[in-house]
Amino acid sequence: MMTSTTKFMASIVLSKLNKHYGSLHHAVKDVDLTIADKEFVALVGPSGCGKSTTLRMIAGLEDISSGEIRIGDRVVNNLPPRDRDVAMVFQNYALYQHMSVYDNLAFGLRNKKVPESEIKAAIDRAAEMLGLHELLKRRPRQLSGGQQQRVALGRCIVRNPLVFLFDEPLSNLDAKLRAQMRIEIKRLHSQMPTTSVFVTHDQVEAMTLGDRVVIMRDGEVQQAGTPLSVYGHPVNRFVAGFIGAPAMNFLDVTIRKEGDTRVAQSAAVKLAINEASARALEAWQGRPVIMGLRPEHLALGSDGPVSRSFPAKVEVVEQLGSEILLETRVGDARVTVARVPPETQVAAGDQVRLSVQPGRLHFFDPKTETAIVA
Amino acid sequence: MTGAGRPLFGEQTRFMLLLITPAALLLTLFQVVPIAIGANASFRDWALYNPKKTWVGLHHYEAVLSDPEFLWVVLPNTFIFMILSVAGALVLGLALALLLNRPFAGQKIVQTVLLVPLMVAPVIAAIMMRWMFNDQFGIVNAVLEGLGLDGQPWLVERWTAFGVIVMTDIWLWTPWYTLLLLAGLQSLPREPFEAAAIDGTSTWRVFTHLTLPMLRSVIVVCVVIRAIDAFRTFDIVWTLTGGGPGRSTELFSLYAYVLAFLTLDFGRGSAAAIIGGLIILVVGAVLYRVVDRIARV
Ligand SMILES: Nc1ncnc2c1ncn2[C@@H]1O[C@H](COP(=O)(O)OP(=O)(O)O)[C@@H](O)[C@H]1O
Ligand SMILES: [Mg+2]
Repeated sequence: MMTSTTKFMASIVLSKLNKHYGSLHHAVKDVDLTIADKEFVALVGPSGCGKSTTLRMIAGLEDISSGEIRIGDRVVNNLPPRDRDVAMVFQNYALYQHMSVYDNLAFGLRNKKVPESEIKAAIDRAAEMLGLHELLKRRPRQLSGGQQQRVALGRCIVRNPLVFLFDEPLSNLDAKLRAQMRIEIKRLHSQMPTTSVFVTHDQVEAMTLGDRVVIMRDGEVQQAGTPLSVYGHPVNRFVAGFIGAPAMNFLDVTIRKEGDTRVAQSAAVKLAINEASARALEAWQGRPVIMGLRPEHLALGSDGPVSRSFPAKVEVVEQLGSEILLETRVGDARVTVARVPPETQVAAGDQVRLSVQPGRLHFFDPKTETAIVA
Repeated sequence: MTGAGRPLFGEQTRFMLLLITPAALLLTLFQVVPIAIGANASFRDWALYNPKKTWVGLHHYEAVLSDPEFLWVVLPNTFIFMILSVAGALVLGLALALLLNRPFAGQKIVQTVLLVPLMVAPVIAAIMMRWMFNDQFGIVNAVLEGLGLDGQPWLVERWTAFGVIVMTDIWLWTPWYTLLLLAGLQSLPREPFEAAAIDGTSTWRVFTHLTLPMLRSVIVVCVVIRAIDAFRTFDIVWTLTGGGPGRSTELFSLYAYVLAFLTLDFGRGSAAAIIGGLIILVVGAVLYRVVDRIARV
């Protein structure tokens, strides 16, 4: 298997995938997802939403309750893990502690009785890519967390599988290392493009790594799209709040008509709505909706027309050096403001005005929480 | 705490000392004192007919160490028994633990049944075995004859008798291994095994390359404990064969017992016991070293 240089197409298709644990717990619900050949998909969602379960079903470590999984042109539902030609990186590395790094890397190939000379060549290549050469003789427990995860990556690379699966591989690393490894994984993917599914609860990881981001909640896929599209056009309030940091602000407002323009109004806020949004909000005239504002789309001050800004009271000032984060109060809602220039003179207790471009407003149905205007 | 008239220990310490006193007393009375008496006896001509208890120095030790029975029957028997019993029960126990480690219908029942030998006193087990292997009316010969085979005088010949002893001990101790190894198996991390499954590892290779090395420390501890224990085995041999036929299945404890309590030569019996103690001390220490070395790899 190793020797075949031309791998056939390895798309992954999940259709109506379900997983029940016992009779009560429905961990994965009707997941439909198509992952293209060589695509890098990030599966993201809060802890317990069924990401790992989905990944483990793809790997074959977990039985499928119903639905179908295809890898390439094969339905793999009933194939044992070893016949699926996938490789997996685990959160806690899952290295073989009693073997040297070299033997860890060689293990999968020795299973297939690949000649030692070929194994050595494959390990040399992987060690080159990951900078593992000095570590080959050591044992996993003599390595740092970052090095161990690199070995785990190497173990997958040497097998040259159809599919890479990652289950929160960076969660055990500290923030700095995590950022480094993120880049490393990205570089690996461009050096040897392989269909990859990357599970994480960290939306930054998902956004930075994924060609496409799939957001899950309570076992259901909420939205799948490019990082830009899920950021710019979240389909519901959950996605809107989950993607982006700091998280989106939500205000309860009512849609009203003032002369020719439509406004979103609450006791503390009155904002003009642009024409495209106004059309979508036609049916919501006079009714309450949830308005979403990204912290980075809010600006301090009111240079523009008064209909584009609203008053707020600063409660907390966080100086980050590169920017200031403001926690403000607008009526009885909390509103976070990001990207305030660091030299701005502002203090807790100040009354300020926050302005926003009308095109940046998001609106959600207060009952279903789906986007009216995303 | 007040300064005046401060007691030697704090209240808490005194309470703790009080709590361990009974155990310490018991230990002294039933372990330390007998060893001291035994050691004393081993240097004297201590027999019921000789009230003088003459000091004879190392005479008894010389006698035991030059006794061909001790050197060529008892010691080999003891070590063969130790190796066979420890290895046999380990292999069986490991096999059972592996079976029990995967869920199946009726698992609870099997687990309970497996524990039965642990609850049976060794003497009872030995008596059961003696009946089963009785050459006239034992069930083993009955079954063999029913199958058209010849019954054997199991307990009358050296090696068959020895085999029955080893088998009884294995039967008694297999569940102990199973319990400990099963606990060991269940405490192993799951991910390496999942990684191995994804890497296409055969069941046998998983066993030899993952399970065994990861269980090594548990196995090592089991082996050391049981090896030392097997060296001292007395009850089942005494009940099954009494050391016979002749003295051919005598193990070390039996040898010391016979000297001390049948020939009533307490001095020589004590010397034998102390020699055995020293041997097992050395064997235990070496085993522990070896095993610890292996486990640390
Ligand atoms: N073996 C299991 N038995 C029962 N419930 C499980 C099992 N594994 C996971 N679950 C449940 O399934 C849900 C999804 O789990 P998981 O896929 O691990 O979530 P995530 O990886 O997104 O944090 C969780 O509520 C979890 O409690
Ligand atoms: Mg998980």
